[in-house]
Amino acid sequence: MIMTRSTRRWLWFVGAVATAAAVPFAVPHPFLFNLLIQAAIWALVTASWDLLGGYAGQISFGHSGFFALGAYTAAGLAYHLHVSPWFGLVAGAILCSLVGLCVGFPALRLRGHYLALVTLGFAEIIRLVAQNWVQMTGGPFGMHDFGTLPGLPTALLRYNETLYLVVLGIAAAAIALMLTVCEHTDAGKAFRAIREDQVLAESHGINIKVYKLYAFALSAALAGLAGGLYAFSIGLVDPNLASPLTSAMILGMAVFGGIGTIWGPALGAVLLFMMSEGLRFVGVVYNLIAFGLVIMVFVIFVPRGVAGLRLGRNERLSRRDLLQSEQAGTRPDPVQRREVI
Amino acid sequence: MLESIVEFLILGIVLGGIYALFSTGLTLIFGVLDVINVAHGEFFAIGGYIVFATVVLLHLSPALGLLAATTGSFLLGLAVYPLLIAPLKRRLGRRPQGPLFLVLTLGLSTFLQSTLLAIGGGDYLRVPPFARGMLDLGFTAVSYQRLLILAVATLALVALFTFLHFHRQGMAIRAVALNPDAAQAVGINLGMIFTLALALGVALAGMAGALMAPLFNVYPAVGFAFTIKAFAITILGGLGNLAGALLASFVIAIVETLSVLVIPSQWQNVIAFAIMILILLIRPQGLLGRADR
Repeated sequence: MIMTRSTRRWLWFVGAVATAAAVPFAVPHPFLFNLLIQAAIWALVTASWDLLGGYAGQISFGHSGFFALGAYTAAGLAYHLHVSPWFGLVAGAILCSLVGLCVGFPALRLRGHYLALVTLGFAEIIRLVAQNWVQMTGGPFGMHDFGTLPGLPTALLRYNETLYLVVLGIAAAAIALMLTVCEHTDAGKAFRAIREDQVLAESHGINIKVYKLYAFALSAALAGLAGGLYAFSIGLVDPNLASPLTSAMILGMAVFGGIGTIWGPALGAVLLFMMSEGLRFVGVVYNLIAFGLVIMVFVIFVPRGVAGLRLGRNERLSRRDLLQSEQAGTRPDPVQRREVI
Repeated sequence: MLESIVEFLILGIVLGGIYALFSTGLTLIFGVLDVINVAHGEFFAIGGYIVFATVVLLHLSPALGLLAATTGSFLLGLAVYPLLIAPLKRRLGRRPQGPLFLVLTLGLSTFLQSTLLAIGGGDYLRVPPFARGMLDLGFTAVSYQRLLILAVATLALVALFTFLHFHRQGMAIRAVALNPDAAQAVGINLGMIFTLALALGVALAGMAGALMAPLFNVYPAVGFAFTIKAFAITILGGLGNLAGALLASFVIAIVETLSVLVIPSQWQNVIAFAIMILILLIRPQGLLGRADR
């Protein structure tokens, strides 16, 4: 049987998820499962960043804002209105996609620097609202005691195991959705066309407005979903979730994994998260120093991240494609002009 | 009511001086290197830490502390271009840079901030005021510390403008900002000018941090709020436009302080960012930016 690249990729993906689901049960310990739950959540939010930043080329510095918004929505609905956490997860994702549309709207006119600054400002607004709207969000200390996903076992180890499988399943499904959108639909091609050359894409009849908003809404919704999962698995949401440092972590994980591949950033998130948790044993601040270093070193020297390190016949072929597309991108951006001092 | 308006106006002008120092540096770096320095606020924090070290730990005079903070951040800034910006520029060649430099300086910001946390701890460090006492204006009083801040900021900005317009290297910086290729063609060493402009820009941030240290406490993340505020200011003034940044600094600072009379102070920052996003929606090139972007 001849396997296409696409089939092979899906086999790899299913294999990786199955391994991730099975292997930890060899060393059943609540702490391990707790770490893996967080790793899966970071994988999801980083992959969602990559859909927008890596595929569509709309670099967001505000994904911490969507993440926090999803977390606060899910937690707030459970705490104040006592609705089912499942509903809260979905509501958080939907609200985030709506807000994503609103944030994406300026993106129709803005590019590069300006877009990054607007998204950064958006996340900062979310953080300040979370910090100051005390009766709704609990203020600087955040919210807790809003419960967890219903129907899970109560014993600690069994609870962590089940929760891990649930979170992993949701995250894997969401990442699979993004892979499908990016690799098997016209939207994925449109995203890449917008990333490579917006003017050219538009002149070829791609409706860049619709596709940019599509990317924003989908990416924000999944970041919000990750936020909701975070809220119910950690049991505490606080304004720091929306801080620029969280965005820096997401960006660092994505750059580490290799942007523009969806699975690369997801893998990068898991690796970097585990590494930073390991560094915690050395000292709490060292993991952040390492994050900063990883971002700088990878942006300069390993631009394609871990995903670009694979070797093999097919990979060499795809690398040739990549090189060609890079060379095709050597034209200076016609829209970009310099302001004068 | 009128008296409190005048009082807040004075506070706003002093704050505007700090914003001006800070965002002029940011604008200078962007105008010359085409890089938005996300780590700008960390140099503000470094300035504060150096002042703390010289004034509180070594018991030296505040003037010396100010000088040390400015020189220290200048020297650190000298290393940024050759170590970080230049290698990425070299790798990119003539390809569009996109937001890669934002990601790079975000990494630098995270790195510096957590390094400060590792060295200085997370505590809020207090720095005593450089000048004690108040100037009595009859209806209100202004502390000498604030007047000192305004005076030093004005002096530094005048010095910067004089340097840019009359000194040989300053004129070279402006030439590079106008057209790097043409500047290189007449024999200007681009790498050196980039290094110098970046160091000058972060030195201004370090000076602002040192001046503000007695009013704010010093802690690792102290500068980040300023960075984000400075983004709003530079966008308001048109990215890369020095005069626009200067004007916008005072506009934002005064509006911000006066808004305390109307809305609770903790919502001030929300207003600043909301204004930034709104302005970008209506005029993507900024208030004073050129329309041809």
